[in-house]
Amino acid sequence: MAFTFKGGVHPREWKLTERSPIAKLPASAHLEVPLQQHIGAPAAALVQKGEGVKLGQVIADNANALCCPVHAPVSGTITGITTRMDASGRMIEYIGIDNDFADTLSETVLPHTRPILETSAEEIIARIRAAGISGMGGAGFPAYAKLSSAIESGVDKLIVNACECEPYLTADHRLLLEHPDAVVGGIQILMRALDLADATIAIEDNKRDAAILLRSVIQNDLIRVHLLQTKYPQGDERQIVFAVTGRQIPAGKLPKDAGCVIFNAATCAAIYDAFVTGLPLVSRIVTVSGDCVKKPSNVRVPIGTAFKDVIEFCGGYSAEPDKLIAGGPMMGVCQWDDNAVVTKTTSGILALSKVPHREADVCVHCGKCALACPMYLEPLYLAAYARIGQYERCKDFDVFSCVECGSCAHVCPGGVPLVQYIRTAKVKLKELAAAKK
Amino acid sequence: MSLFRVSSSPHLYREDTTRVLMLDVLIALIPALIWAIYQFGWRVLTVCALSMASAVLFEYLFNKLAHKKNTIGDCSALVTGLLFAFSLPASAGFAIVVLGTFFAIVVVKGLFGGLGKNIVNPALAARVFVFISFPAELTRYTDPGLRLGFFESLSADAVSSATPLAVLKNGTMPSESALNLLFGSLPGSLGEVSALLLLAGGLYLAIRRVIDIRIPLSVLATVAVFSYFLPVKGLDNVQFMLAELLSGGLMLGAIFMATDYVTSPATKLGRVIYGIGIGLITMFIRYFGGYPEGVSFAILIMNLFVYYLDRYTKAKPFGQKGAPKHAA
Ligand code: SF4
Ligand code: SF4
Repeated sequence: MAFTFKGGVHPREWKLTERSPIAKLPASAHLEVPLQQHIGAPAAALVQKGEGVKLGQVIADNANALCCPVHAPVSGTITGITTRMDASGRMIEYIGIDNDFADTLSETVLPHTRPILETSAEEIIARIRAAGISGMGGAGFPAYAKLSSAIESGVDKLIVNACECEPYLTADHRLLLEHPDAVVGGIQILMRALDLADATIAIEDNKRDAAILLRSVIQNDLIRVHLLQTKYPQGDERQIVFAVTGRQIPAGKLPKDAGCVIFNAATCAAIYDAFVTGLPLVSRIVTVSGDCVKKPSNVRVPIGTAFKDVIEFCGGYSAEPDKLIAGGPMMGVCQWDDNAVVTKTTSGILALSKVPHREADVCVHCGKCALACPMYLEPLYLAAYARIGQYERCKDFDVFSCVECGSCAHVCPGGVPLVQYIRTAKVKLKELAAAKK
Repeated sequence: MSLFRVSSSPHLYREDTTRVLMLDVLIALIPALIWAIYQFGWRVLTVCALSMASAVLFEYLFNKLAHKKNTIGDCSALVTGLLFAFSLPASAGFAIVVLGTFFAIVVVKGLFGGLGKNIVNPALAARVFVFISFPAELTRYTDPGLRLGFFESLSADAVSSATPLAVLKNGTMPSESALNLLFGSLPGSLGEVSALLLLAGGLYLAIRRVIDIRIPLSVLATVAVFSYFLPVKGLDNVQFMLAELLSGGLMLGAIFMATDYVTSPATKLGRVIYGIGIGLITMFIRYFGGYPEGVSFAILIMNLFVYYLDRYTKAKPFGQKGAPKHAA
């Protein structure tokens, strides 16, 4: 069994908030809840302007497609539905809610009362869907769909991703330290649904305290805590499967094709909450950090809260940031302004100051990117051919195997925006393929 | 409401830019430079300074005339200048130094598109260019200890000494002991004489992860194996091997020239093959060529294959059939 993967990088960790307990952000007076926070079809609004809503009430859903329902994070009044472009250029609908600060719970918020071992897989899947849970680590794939396809294909390994390999981010780490029982409880529910006797929690060895705590909470050997080397991108699904099982997910395929299913630690805790309190996914833990934030912290934030409210809660900006990022510094997405809102996948909000020397864009052919690439690609050639528009050549260099982890651009001494070139090549190749049809 | 900058991920970078790496290479060359000054006198400093200054100047002027971004900030011209100077004898004429840097920076690098685009190593190409153009002047190696002042040139009747390689080629052992070769008390190009200090510089670069030791190791190992098993007739094989390893530009070439990023492969396997190729061609030229010094040609020849080495030693992507299985 391997304890890591080949390639990868060791960025400075910047875990400024490792020791700060999770604070609870009081809900803002107004929230804007996006209807597309997951991979799949957007949810359609089920409420209208002026309507009253209660905390935990479903406000949008689409039962006929791959979709997660969206719930009201507070009680109050709907102020309208607007469409705006998000930072990735997608048009997204938002439901505006004015908070009445009463926190009136919806009648639909009911705990699951029967013992989990007497609950069927179908019931578990239904409750996870009803709670609107999508993957909370990265892409946001609907958890119910992942679970049911894993059951269908008969996977034999449940891996819980607690690597949190992105620098700065500590939200999962704090969750594990403060609510290990919720994570373990969620894992037990998943084990029951998958009909598996065991599971593995994969965690990087920079979080030994959490690993020790987890072991003491678990007290049996069915759920193993597997310490992995601290290295980026350890939490990537291909790398984590390789490190834990030695299996390689075939190119272009999913973890289930290697007999594995992976859930993020925060997702497990959300599943646990959905059973124990009945509360759907209406808030999440966010690491607020970076050199332009006065008090870097871990905060539990209602979904739909504007970044500026969260940053205000953390003491405001200490300096004008150059970039505001949703997620971690390696794969996170830049935001135009701080009206962007927290979604189910927002693991971090980073306000970073300017890095001056990154405009060179001259490849010196040092090969450092190729050594760093966990997918064994040659990013330098991907960038070189994309730069001159020879996208077909990028295909010869396996551009579609790139997981956009950013390791290559991170190490590049020449300041080549490798990931940007690679993304361009992928988009252009997809356009070309579509045009051919 | 202020707008923030939007750019592609990642948003966190390592701090060692090209400039930092190039400065590291300069640092690694300093011990050998000091030794050269001690051996051959202050003129060494003049040659090196002139070479570096003119390299930077040509780079600046070329970019200006070609309407390109000013790139002297990346410090690569300084490295080219110093490496070129290292390959000259201390007595090299100043005009030759300037001409050589012109060839390196403008012809070999600039006209091919600048840093990262050149096919062969600029410093080496310039070295070969001037050695072929001015063979008489550039092979008058002075004995160590004959120290020249800052601007002093070699008097016309000064006897030049044969380099150890030239002696070896004639089938006799050079008079220098292996120890002398190691420390560099011998006639030769100013930067090539101290194998030990060049090795120390290489170690520094390897520790700082500036160079990949696969390249120098495979070059040196190939030369060692080859010369151990096939010594020139009548010579002891261990002594012959040591002499081959420690003399000529082998150390400078293997550690500093062959590892030039632009003109060496980017893959691990490619680097090993490239190093072995350099070692073999070097020995081939040393045995059969009319020119005892083979490293420069060997590196230049292997430079030409870099693209193909990269292309055909490319690993299968993770998750495809035939991808490497084990974690490093
Ligand atoms: S090429 Fe893609 S997979 Fe490889 S390091 Fe770069 S971003 Fe990561
Ligand atoms: S790391 Fe940057 S400079 Fe080095 S080979 Fe890759 S793209 Fe070129």
